[in-house]
Order: sequence, then C-alpha cells, then structure tokens
Amino acid sequence: MLEVDGLRKRYGDTVALDGVSLTVRPGEMFGFVGANGAGKTTTMRIVMGVLSSDGGQVRWNGAQAGHEIRRRFGYMPEERGLYAKMRVGEQIEYFGKLGGMPPQAAKRSADELIERLSLTERRGDDVDSLSLGNQQRVQLAVALIHDPELLVLDEPFSGLDPIAVDALAGVLTERKAAGVPVVFSSHQLDLVERLCDSVGIIKAGRMIAGGTVEELRARESRKRLRIVVTGAAPGWAGGLPGEIVSRTERTPEDGARYDEVILMPADDQEALRVAAQAGHVQHFAWQEPSLAEIFREVVA
Amino acid sequence: MNAVTLVARREIAVRGRTKGFRIGLLVTAVLVVVLAALPKLIGGGSDYDVGLAGRQADRLQAALAGQAAQATDVTVKVTRYADEAAARKGVEDGDVEAAVVDNTTVISKTVVGDSLAVLLDTAHRVVATEANLTAAGLDPAKVGQAQQVAPMKTVSLNGTGEDATIRRVLAMVIVVILFMLLIQVCTWVAMGVVEEKGSRIVEILLTAVRPWQLLAGKVIGLGVLGLSQVIVIAAVGLVAAQVTGAVPELPEGTYGVVAGAVVWFLLGYVFYAAMFAAIASLVSRQEELSGVLTPATMLLMASYLVGFVAAGAPDSTLTQVLSIVPPFSAMVMPVRSAVLDVPLWETGLAAGLMIVAAVAVLLLGGRIYQRAVLRTGARVKWREALSSAS
Repeated sequence: MLEVDGLRKRYGDTVALDGVSLTVRPGEMFGFVGANGAGKTTTMRIVMGVLSSDGGQVRWNGAQAGHEIRRRFGYMPEERGLYAKMRVGEQIEYFGKLGGMPPQAAKRSADELIERLSLTERRGDDVDSLSLGNQQRVQLAVALIHDPELLVLDEPFSGLDPIAVDALAGVLTERKAAGVPVVFSSHQLDLVERLCDSVGIIKAGRMIAGGTVEELRARESRKRLRIVVTGAAPGWAGGLPGEIVSRTERTPEDGARYDEVILMPADDQEALRVAAQAGHVQHFAWQEPSLAEIFREVVA
Repeated sequence: MNAVTLVARREIAVRGRTKGFRIGLLVTAVLVVVLAALPKLIGGGSDYDVGLAGRQADRLQAALAGQAAQATDVTVKVTRYADEAAARKGVEDGDVEAAVVDNTTVISKTVVGDSLAVLLDTAHRVVATEANLTAAGLDPAKVGQAQQVAPMKTVSLNGTGEDATIRRVLAMVIVVILFMLLIQVCTWVAMGVVEEKGSRIVEILLTAVRPWQLLAGKVIGLGVLGLSQVIVIAAVGLVAAQVTGAVPELPEGTYGVVAGAVVWFLLGYVFYAAMFAAIASLVSRQEELSGVLTPATMLLMASYLVGFVAAGAPDSTLTQVLSIVPPFSAMVMPVRSAVLDVPLWETGLAAGLMIVAAVAVLLLGGRIYQRAVLRTGARVKWREALSSAS
C-alpha cells in the first residue's frame, strides 16, 4: 500500500505542494487529475525519490520509502527518456538489471515484454530509429521490466493512438489484477473514469477531492434532473421548481411537441408532479455527471 | 550486479561501439604504425653507390670502407672507373650516386645528399691529410695514434646520463598523450551527463541508482575505455617500432616512467572528470556544453602548455613548483620524472596534494551533479547548484 502523507514542496517563493496526501491500496488503480501546474508531476517525482520534499512522508507498506524500496517501483516520467543510441533489447535489459534483476532473469523478462509489446523485430535497433509510438512502448517496457511492486506513471496515455491506448490500458489492468497498486496522471478524464478505482483531484498543490468516481458524484452538490415531456403546452416549464440549466424543444411535422429540460430542482417530487400534469413524461432521472463535469466544477 | 559496475559496463559497451570511437582508434593505430615505420621508409636505407676514378682511388676506397665499418647501417659500394669521363657516365646513368675524381672533385647529378657528402668529405680529408703528412716526412700511422684521445665522460648531477634527448622526447610524448586522453575522455563524460539529463532518462535512472553511483560508473567506464585505447595504441606502436627497428634502445627506467604517467593520468582524470561532469550537469543541451565547459577546458589547456614548457626546462624552479601544485602536477610531474630523478618526497607531496584536490573536486562535483542533474530547462546557476537543496 502506498501512503503519501502531507507532502510539502516549495520552489523559491512558489508553493508547489501544500500538504498532499493520498493512499493507493494493492490492486487499486488511482487516477491523478488536475490542471497543468497543479502539482501532479511534483508529487510523483517525490514519491519516486527523484525530488526531495520539504515536508511530509512517503510510506510503502507502512515503512518510510527509501532508495532500496523505490528500486522496486516502476516509473514512467512525464518527459520520456531513453538512450537514443542504445539498442531496444539491451536498453530494456539494462533497466531490469539496474532494478536488481540477475542478468538471466532480466533477459527473460525483456523477451516477454518485447513479445508482448510487439517490438520483436525492433529488438536490435537503436531507439532513435523507432517511431514515437514504438519509443513509448519501450518506455513502458523500461517501467515494467523488473516486475515492480508499484507503478507510477506520469501521463502514460499522452500522445498514443486509440489502439495503443487500449494496449496500455490492458497492461495496466493486468498489473492491477496481479495486486500491484497503479498510480497514473492524465488529462484524458474519460479514460480515468473508465479505468480507475479511485480518483484524486489536485489544485494548486492541494488535494481538493478524492475517492471513487461514485463517491465524487455523490458529493456533487448541484444535482441535475433530466426531464423529457411530450405533448405539453408551451410555457409549461415555467412552473418547474428550481433553476433551469438548459432547455430544448422540438415540434415534429406529424408529432406531438417534445421538451427536454435540465433542471436543478428545489424539490424533485414537485418537479415530477408539474411535469406529469403538463404532458406525457418520457424520461425523468438524475443526470450522472461525468468525471470531466465533476472536475470542472470542483476546480472552478 | 552492483550498480556502479552496471553503469560502467554500459558506458564501455555503448561508447565502444560507436563509429567515432572505432574509426578514431583505427586511424590513430594506422598513424602510429606509419610514424614508427617512417624513418625506415624515407631513410630508404643508408646504402650508397660511389664511383672512384683517378689518383688516390685505392686509398679513398679504403677510407670509405673504414667509415662504413664504423657506422651502423651504412654500406658503401664502390665502383672503380678508368677515368673522369667514365665516372661522369656512371653518374649520368645512375649507376652511382656520386663519383670522386682524383680526390679533388665530386661529381653528382644534382646535389649530394647530406650524409653521403659528410662521408665523402671525411674520406677526402683523411686521405689528403695522410698525403700531406707523408709529404712533410711524418708517419701518418704515428700521427693517427697520437690523435687517439679517449672521449670525455659525461657526468650529470641529476642523473639523466647520456639519454637526455630520448628522455626529453619521452616527456613530450607523455604530455601530448596525457592531454589528448584527458580532454577526450572528460569530454565523453560531459557529453554523457548532458545526454542523460537532456533526454530526462536520468529521472528513471535515479529511481534505481544513486547519483554518485551513476557518476562513478560513468567516470570509471569511460576511463577504462580511454586507458585501453592508449594501451592498444602503445602496443601497436611498440610492435611496429620493434619490427621496423625504428626506435633506439629505450633508456633505463622508461617503464617506470610510463607506469608513473599512468598513475598520474588516473589522478588527473578523477579531478577533471568530476569537474567536467559537475559543469555539464548545469546545462540540458549539448549545444550549451562547450560554452559552459570553457573554464575547465582552459585549465586543462594551461596544464598542457605548462607541461610542455616543463619538458623543455625540467630543472627550472617554475617546473619544480608546478610539479607539486595540483592540478598542474598531474601533467608536470610525470614530465619532470621522465627527464630527471625527482626526490621521493617531492613526488610523494605532489601525489598527496593531487589526491586531496581530486577528492575535493569529486565531493563538490558530486554534490553539484546531484543537485543540478534533475533540473532541466534553463542553465542552473552556480550559486543555486552549490547552495540550494534540490
């Protein structure tokens, strides 16, 4: 289990992190969400030990994370980095050995990953002769080679085509299923919503919301009703209690009038009664906000 | 496997595989072979064909034979001609390089080569002097005996003995090789640091290894590569020289001097490599490297020049002082030791000071490296690198 507790970090006069805490359990995928410059990368760098914090703790299974513990983590930094003039296979093996694997095991593990990531034909090529997408795969292999106990990935999906996104999502889900906690940051909120068990939203160095997507929805204060009514007289919606967010009306050539209203109701039961009186209620339900909507709301 | 060894092995494998390294090594090796064989090639051997005609030809022939016997590697083949006209024809046809007529005239196509000219001139003097002595009623043999004087013995107070020239050449060679090696390998170190910093791979590396391990592995790996390069070149040079017989016998203690130079290289290398690495860690792009490295390169250049001056004036006070002061000592001391016998305490003091300096630069450089290597973007200022925590 990864526990980040009250991390603080300053760059000169700028406060980058102001007490960031988060917890990721075994087999949990944690989506780290926030605007550019909110502190995601700084937090991840501190977790990986490539940056020192001004305060707070990073604990792994209850123990303060030191160099030996962090060697067993897998990391993909925001700015990708590989040796341009080193062969693909050699490079992946090298990081395996640096991560503490015996040479034979590193070679075996590299072979598997290369196979898995469809890099077999490029094994002997220098990294700089690869396409960006393939370089990204090598980068992932470097993060996974030593079978890490924790995965920390900074923007792993950025710049990937949809097929590569699915492949990466598959690999991460597999690791998660094997009990590895996975932390990744992303601006692709639909992906985060789809993949992550829990989400943390950071703003200006503070965690402002966290939990499962359902919990975040539940905490969402401004609940919206979507009401669709057919055959109602014009102006019926004026009687609805609460604030109308949006309204669409259509009158087909041969049909009854169609009204769609998004409402922030003052009283949902009263709203139902008004709608039922006005016409035929086709749809009456709470609208589930997407993570993107929650994010905009929380960050605003 | 230990992290430092892993890093060092990677450096050797990857750098040793680059085209630049291989071609450089090949070109240098070929150059060394050519240099070693050059004296033989342009010397063309010291075999002379000389024509003789007219008076005193017999005696000239004897005198030339005597000289050839005294010198090493010189043979003189004499062709006798009936008269001047025949001798001229012999020169004309290229049968002989030069012909002496009547022990008064030398005939040649253009000019007589220097060494042959000396040979002929000496023979001419010997024969002419003998003739003059006989004419004056003296016995040339007795005069010759009287002229046999033992040469003066040279005693050098610094113990350089008779090999001063060879030792000086050796000193020059050591300076040049030390300088080339230091600047080349230290530049590799600097480029490697920027490569890792610029590509951000250092972020992944530092989750697995500590900064000092990364730095130490790089410095050791590239140092081994540089040193093995010199060993290859030296071996090729020595073998080539042996085969062609181009080098004269090396003075006593040469191997000791060379071994000492290797030790000094290592000390100087640690010093400069740590310095180059620390400075390189301040920038993120290779283009910025040469600018930021200028002061360090200047220091190395200054050491080189001082070393060269020292090879010319090994017993001056300046040389003595600079052979003890680090980092100049790394280049001046091996030079001084090559030319003369340096008191043990001076060598010890110089080595001690250089070790202290190298360790100091290593610690300071390591600290700067550790703080600066993760800060990409704009150049990190010295003050920041030295004071702030990362």
